[in-house]
Amino acid sequence: MIVKILKKIASLIVILLILSFLVFGLMYLAPGDPAERKLSQQGIPISKEVLEAERAKMGLDRPFLVRYGEWLSGIVRGDFGSSYKDDMPVGPKLGAGLKNTFILAFSSLILALVIAFPLSVISAFRKNGVIDQIVRLLSFIGNSLPNFLISILLIYFFCIKLNLFPVIAKGNVQGLFLPVISLAIPMAGRFIRQMRAELLDQMKEDYVTGMQGRGVKQGYIVKNVLRNSIGHIFTIIALQIGSLMGGSVVIETIFRWPGIGKLVMDSITARDYPVILGFVIIIGVIYLVINQLSDVLHHILDPRTSL
Amino acid sequence: MQDRILEIKDLQIVYDEELAVKRASLFVERGEVLCIVGESGSGKSTVIRAITGNKQVKVKGGQILFEGEDLVPMKKKERQKLLGTKIGLIQQNPAGAFNPIRKFNVQFKETLKSHSLPFILEKLNQLFVTLGLKNTTGILKSRPYEMSGGMNQRIAISAAMLMDPELLLCDEITSALDVTTAISVTDELLRLKNERGTTIILVTHNLGIAANIADRIAIMSKGEVIEFDTAERILHDPQQEYTKSLLRDVPKLMV
Amino acid sequence: MRKKKRAKTKIIIVSVLVVLLLLSTVLAGVIAPHDPSEPCATTIRLAPCAEYPLGTDNLGRCVFSRVLYGGRTTIAATFLLVLISFAVGTIIGILCGYYGGFVDKLLMRVADVLLAFPQMVIAIAVAGILNGGMTGAMIALGITMWVSFARLARSHTFTLKNEAYIQAAVFAGKSDFYIILRHIFPNLLAPVLTQALTTIGTTMIGLSGLSFLGLGVVPPTPEWGSMIAEARAYIQIAPWAIMGPAAATIITIILFNYLGDAVMDYREI
Repeated sequence: MIVKILKKIASLIVILLILSFLVFGLMYLAPGDPAERKLSQQGIPISKEVLEAERAKMGLDRPFLVRYGEWLSGIVRGDFGSSYKDDMPVGPKLGAGLKNTFILAFSSLILALVIAFPLSVISAFRKNGVIDQIVRLLSFIGNSLPNFLISILLIYFFCIKLNLFPVIAKGNVQGLFLPVISLAIPMAGRFIRQMRAELLDQMKEDYVTGMQGRGVKQGYIVKNVLRNSIGHIFTIIALQIGSLMGGSVVIETIFRWPGIGKLVMDSITARDYPVILGFVIIIGVIYLVINQLSDVLHHILDPRTSL
Repeated sequence: MQDRILEIKDLQIVYDEELAVKRASLFVERGEVLCIVGESGSGKSTVIRAITGNKQVKVKGGQILFEGEDLVPMKKKERQKLLGTKIGLIQQNPAGAFNPIRKFNVQFKETLKSHSLPFILEKLNQLFVTLGLKNTTGILKSRPYEMSGGMNQRIAISAAMLMDPELLLCDEITSALDVTTAISVTDELLRLKNERGTTIILVTHNLGIAANIADRIAIMSKGEVIEFDTAERILHDPQQEYTKSLLRDVPKLMV
Repeated sequence: MRKKKRAKTKIIIVSVLVVLLLLSTVLAGVIAPHDPSEPCATTIRLAPCAEYPLGTDNLGRCVFSRVLYGGRTTIAATFLLVLISFAVGTIIGILCGYYGGFVDKLLMRVADVLLAFPQMVIAIAVAGILNGGMTGAMIALGITMWVSFARLARSHTFTLKNEAYIQAAVFAGKSDFYIILRHIFPNLLAPVLTQALTTIGTTMIGLSGLSFLGLGVVPPTPEWGSMIAEARAYIQIAPWAIMGPAAATIITIILFNYLGDAVMDYREI
């Protein structure tokens, strides 16, 4: 068990190394000179000497592998480098954004689960019934809606037509409302589709026939089916965290929510590469760790699955 | 003299939107073994599903009389109460009859609680001993996935017998087994029948197995019961060509 | 049988709708009442009327015409991206599954790495760094998209390789190229194509999302995502400028997702 977990951690580190290398390489190949851009943004007239000096200061004149090595060793020490835009360290910027993103993402996840879990259970156990048909239709539509469209339609109806909310989200509970719904609706759609399918698969298992043959009450059968599905359901949730992260970039930008997603969009506009890199690494680590943890949890809940 | 514990009259069953059983009439008397024989797709397992009230099948016409009462119009809850206590089922893959990741004792208790019956360890122990299972408490503390298939099979049979059903339905239980195990399972069934007087309906595609244990045989083909009589008549004086052809194959199947 | 027939009817009906949709964008030049990118000072932000069925935008351009032309960009980019990912993924998958060995192991590790990260996050970062318009956005999404095709093709090739008739072809001295082309590819085409069909919807969501963020198509080229992003600024005054492309996006994604589901169902029956 411990050996397996250690192996998992090792492969996780390898995956992260490869990804960091790829992203860093991409940034290296990206068009444009960050030093030149930075100087022109700060309004400093660009001469060859100034540019060279700035390039040296930013470390842009050194070979690729050296720069990658330095950047990587910095990250291991928790130092994400400093922003091209204002020379501030990237780490605290990302940290502050991450906190806000966590609030947004976590609330959306909870809302999506509160909607999806009961509906998929009812849907699966009353397969082809009226509720199932409605739930399937709604989840299909929800799954087909891009979250930026949902948020714009929500803004239109709630902020403009009904005038219930401010268009720009302040970092408070009221401002959280629309972004959370925008993220939760498509996620709930995907959850329902996947959870319903999982429950239906589980209901085809032999033990369900066995329990029915023994005349076991429906309540107990539901309990057993849920008990056996829960491991898979955790995996389903963990995998959705990926699109939740992608979605929150869009939603944060629309509602000006001060999270890591908005930060990264601002940094993309400003070609502030250290922030973008830090973002990818942080999200990557979070996503990987959550998914590995869900594997471990799945194994604990259902010892038949391999770790 | 006649005590038909189960009688099926002109049964029509729809399975997966197709008329899987077009016409089936048969009966079994208390304490007998009835074998329903037919190849796969003949509708024999569908008949069993209709008796247990499986949701996947829909009875379109006819009656299923259990101790004189028609099961078809019966409410789901009442049928659920009959299952296990009066009608037992050993399913196609008996080794999978229990939730693989939960302990047996929890699952036995859930079964008994569903019928408001107490859990009596001594009774289960007796059944386990009859079926050659040792260490009852050890088994109850373990989970199905930790046990061998053979063990799970015997535990499933004991679970079906635990509440002394009067009618035991066995759905193709021998088809997945090798010949020796199949014979040992049918031997167990015969012993239960003799000790407890349980009526048994065994569905199989193997007329050889039926010849070993049946009192009555129903031959099914393409959704119809084409021949139904005592085992003796079917085996020695078959009327239908199809039955004769099945009989010609028997020596090859029997060991 | 009846189920299969019903599923077939469903596929036919949705396919007809999809074809109509595609036709309307292909024939945009004929259907569109106005020039999609010609600004006009006298027709700024007109509400929908007979002349402008979906109204006009901030620059006085006909929203209906822009939606039709925008469909070309959105749908063509989506199809192209799915097609390329499908082709690249299938070829890699077949070669990996057929030959195995070191390259197979390496590529599958790369695939693992790519799948180990949230697709949209990578796409945003890559598209942001590339800053290359629609091509950049397509590369950004394509980096991870080929993987699912490769895996599917690889696993099917693996199974097929051990089939008796392919073994027979090997013993008969047929070339690898012949075997792959004549025996393996036709047999895995159906599942991989189904997969391609089901990814159209999500790809469109991804691409229009990137465009919406300004990481895709560059204005004034009409494209649904960027049209929505542009019109968002004056949603209070002219909501119709958003409703047109929004409805088009939703309808298109729903149609393709429905078609994907229907084909999947049909294959499962």
